[in-house]
Amino acid sequence: MEQQITQAEARNNPQPKVMHMAPVLRGLVWATIGFAIFDLMTVAVDPFRGRPLVTEPSVVVGWVGALIGWLMGVGGYEGVILPLFGSPSTWVEPKNWRKYFGLSTNHKVIGLQYLVTSSSIFFIAGMDAMAIRYELMQPSMHFFTYTGQYLTAVGVHGSLMMFGVGTVVLISGLGNYFVPLMIGAKETVFSRLSGIGHWLLPAGALTLIASPLLGYWDTGWRGYEPLASQDPGGMVFYYLGIFAMTLSTIIASLNLAATIIFHRARGMTWARLPLFVWGILTVSLLNLIWQPEIEMTFVMALLDKLIPFHFFDALGSPLTYLSMFWLFGHPEVYIIVLPAFALWNEIIPVMAQKNLFARDWAIIGLIFVMMLSGLVWAHHIFTNMRNSEMFPFSFFSEMISIPTGFSFMAAIGTLWRARLRFTTPTLLVLMAIFNFVIGGLTGVYLADPPVNLQVHDTFFVIAHFHYTIIGGAIFTWVAAMYYWLPKLSGRMFNDTLGKWLALWIFIGFNGTFSQMFLLGLDGMNRWVPAYPPYLKPLNYSVSLFAFFLGAGFIANAIHIWWAWVKGPKSPENPWHARTLEWLTTSPPPDDNFDGEVEVVRGFYRYDHDEPSAYLVKNPEPAE
Amino acid sequence: MGNIVVFGILWAGLTAVGEWVFRTHRAHSFYYTISNQGSLALSAFNFLSSWLMPIFIFIALVTIFALVRFRAPNNEPKPSEVQAMRNRAFIFTWVGLSFALNIMFWLHPTSVDLEAMFTNWRKEKAQHPLIVNVTARQWEWMFNYPQYHVTQAVNAQGLDEMELPVNRPVEFFLRSYDPFHTYDVYAGVIHSFWIPAFGIKEDVIPGETRTEFLIPEHVANYHTSPLVRVQCAEVCGPGHPYMESPVSVVTAAQFAKWIKYEQKLQAAAGGS
Ligand SMILES: [Cu+2]
Repeated sequence: MEQQITQAEARNNPQPKVMHMAPVLRGLVWATIGFAIFDLMTVAVDPFRGRPLVTEPSVVVGWVGALIGWLMGVGGYEGVILPLFGSPSTWVEPKNWRKYFGLSTNHKVIGLQYLVTSSSIFFIAGMDAMAIRYELMQPSMHFFTYTGQYLTAVGVHGSLMMFGVGTVVLISGLGNYFVPLMIGAKETVFSRLSGIGHWLLPAGALTLIASPLLGYWDTGWRGYEPLASQDPGGMVFYYLGIFAMTLSTIIASLNLAATIIFHRARGMTWARLPLFVWGILTVSLLNLIWQPEIEMTFVMALLDKLIPFHFFDALGSPLTYLSMFWLFGHPEVYIIVLPAFALWNEIIPVMAQKNLFARDWAIIGLIFVMMLSGLVWAHHIFTNMRNSEMFPFSFFSEMISIPTGFSFMAAIGTLWRARLRFTTPTLLVLMAIFNFVIGGLTGVYLADPPVNLQVHDTFFVIAHFHYTIIGGAIFTWVAAMYYWLPKLSGRMFNDTLGKWLALWIFIGFNGTFSQMFLLGLDGMNRWVPAYPPYLKPLNYSVSLFAFFLGAGFIANAIHIWWAWVKGPKSPENPWHARTLEWLTTSPPPDDNFDGEVEVVRGFYRYDHDEPSAYLVKNPEPAE
Repeated sequence: MGNIVVFGILWAGLTAVGEWVFRTHRAHSFYYTISNQGSLALSAFNFLSSWLMPIFIFIALVTIFALVRFRAPNNEPKPSEVQAMRNRAFIFTWVGLSFALNIMFWLHPTSVDLEAMFTNWRKEKAQHPLIVNVTARQWEWMFNYPQYHVTQAVNAQGLDEMELPVNRPVEFFLRSYDPFHTYDVYAGVIHSFWIPAFGIKEDVIPGETRTEFLIPEHVANYHTSPLVRVQCAEVCGPGHPYMESPVSVVTAAQFAKWIKYEQKLQAAAGGS
C-alpha cells in the first residue's frame, strides 16, 4: 500500500497545483455557472408562455446544476471527480484555518464544520422564531405584511431547525468529531464522502432561506398536500433544500455506522462500546431507514407539483402523503433525542465518578425506542381516523414511553447517592432531564385520542415538541459543548458563568413553552399570524420570555466561543473521564492517537483505578 | 435508607400539594367545553393529569434532590462511595410500573373513551339528529341545513354563521371543495373543522365526505366565550387565520325562530 502511493506520486508533479481561489468562493461561482447552464438548457427545451428565464421545472434542474457546481467547487473536483476518472487527486488540505473552508477528509474537521454550519443555521432559524414571536405579540398583522410571508417564516424556521439543527448537531456534528475518538479509530470509513456530505448542509439551508424568492409558501415544515401542490414556487425550494440536508445526514450516518462497525480499536467489543456510540449507531440506522423514505416522498410531491401527477390531491389520496410524511416524521423526533439520552448517561457517571447504573437497560432502551419509533406515526393524524384504526397507534404511542424510561432509570440510578460534582454540564444535563420529562408526559395526552382530538394542531402540541427538542436535545447539546470544550479546544470555560447562563436559558425556555400549553388549551391554533384578541395577554408574555431565551442562547454561544479562543488552558482530562477521547491530547492530533489503542475493560467503572485502555505510543522517530 | 425515606416523604408531600392545586384549578376546568364529546375529552385529560402528576414530581424531584443531597462538596475527582450498578428491586419496580401504567392508560382512558365516543355516535345517529352540511373552501366555512331547506346560513351582513339547538344531537357532514370555483371543484385542500368549545376537531379532506356527531349541552355563543367558534385548525393557505365563523348554541324556540329568519333571508335573496 505504502509503495503504491509513493509510485503514484512519483509519476506526477510532486508540487500539486496551487489553488488560487478560496474553495467556498469557487463553489459559489461554479454554482452560479451550473445554475445558469442547467436552467437555460431547460427553458430552451421546455419554454413557458412569455418565455421567462426561470420556470418551476427549470429552477429544479438549475438547482441540480448549482449543487453539482458547488460540490465540485468546494473541492469535489480535485478530491472526487479526478480520482474517479483515474487521475490522482490534486486536492491538498491546508494545515491552517483554511482547512475548515473546503473539502476535508478529517472527521474532526468535518465535525467542526458541521457544528459551525449548524450553529449558524440555529442562529438564522432562531432569529426567524423571534420574528414570529414579535408578530404574535399583537392579535392582528403588524410586522409581517402578508399572511403567506408569516407562514413562510414558520415553515423556514421549522424546516431549518429540524433538518439543519436537530438532526445535525449531535449526529453529524458531535458524532463525527467524537465517535471515531471514542472507539479508538484513526479515521472514518468513508472519509471523503463524509467531507462532501458536509457541504450539502449549507447548500440545503441556503436553498430554504432563498425559498421566498420563488414565492411565499404556506404549509409549514410538513408540506401537507394538496396545499403544497397549489402553493407558489417557494415550495420547490422547500423540497430541494430538505433533500440536500437529509442527504447530508444520510451520508454522515452511513459513514458513522460503518466506522462503528469496522473501525473499532483492539479490545473495543460491543459490550464495551460507549453509550454515546450506541446512541449514534441506533440513530444512524434510523436515518438510513427513514431519511430515504422522506426523500422519496418529497420527490413524488415535487413531481406532483411540476407535472402534475395527482398523487396526493382529491384525484389521488391526500391522506397517503400525510402517512408517508409522519412515517418519517415521528422517527425524526427520536433521531433528534436518542443521542441526547445517550449523552446523559455519558456525562452523569463522569461527573459523579460513579459506575453507570443498569448500562444494559440503557442500551436496550435506545434499541427499543429505535424499533418502536416506526410504529407510532398515525397519532399525528388521529383527526383522520376511526375507532379501530386508532387503537394500535394509541397503544404503541403509549408503549414507547417504556424504553424511553430506561434512559431515565439508568440516569437516576447513577445519580442516587452519588458524589455529584456540580458543574455546568451536570446542571445542563439535569435541566434536560427535567425538560424532557415534561415533553414526554405531555405526549401521553397526545397519545390518548379523545384528548388528542381537542389539542391537536394547537399550541399545546407546539409546546410539547419544543419541550422534547429544545428542552431535551438542545439543552443536551449545550451540556455536551461545555463538557467536551476542553477536548475540542484544550481550554476551559468559566464554570460560574456557565451555570448562570444555563439558568438563563432554563428560565427563558420554561417561561416560553410552559405558557404555550395554556395557550393551546385556551384555543390558540397553529399557523395564525392573526388570532382572536382574548389570546393576546398570554401571547405577549410568551413573546417576552422567547426574546429572553433567544438572548440566552446567544450569551451561551459567546461564552463558548470566548472559552474556545481565550479560555484558560485546561488539564488533559479535566473531568477524570474514562472514555477513549481523553486518552489523547487536546485538541487531538490529525490521526487522533499517537500510537495504538487497546481497550482492556469497560468505561463506566469508577470502583477501581485500573485504566480502561492503553495507548501504546509510536516509537520516537530515530534522529 | 435515610435518603429513600426523605425522598419518599418529599415526593408524597409534593405530589399531594400538586394534586390539591390541580383539583382546585380543575374546578375552573382546563378548557371550556359545552358538548358531550368535550366532557369525555376533559375527563380523560383530568384523569391523565392526576396520574402523571406523581411521575412528573418524581423526576423533577430527583433532579433537584441530586443537586442538593448528592452534591460533592468540591470538584475534586473523587469516586463516589456508593458504586451500585444494579438494584434489582429498583429496576423491577421501574420496569413493572411503567408497563402497568401504560397498559392502564391504554385501557383507561383510551380504550374506554374510544368505545364511549363511538357508541355515542351510533346512538346519536339513531336519534334523528339535526343535520348540518359543512363545506370548507379556501377560505370560508359554509353551513347548510337540508332538513330546513336553508342552503347557506348567514347573518344580516351576509357572513356565514352557525346556530345549533341545545341538547339536540347534531350530525355534521364535512366536505372540502369549492362550489364557486368555475372550472375545478376539486381545487380543495385539507381543512380541519374545530369548535374549541366542543372538544373535537376533524380534518376535512378533498374527495371525502366525513361525519361527526355531538350534543351541545349549554347555551352559549361567541360573545359568552370566544371558544364557541368554528376555527380552521389545519393550515390551508394564506387565508387560514381568518377561516373562522361564530357559533351560537340556543334554545329550541330560538333555533326555530332563527331558521324562519334564514328562510326569509333566502326567499328575499331569491334563493332556492
Ligand atoms: Cu382551512
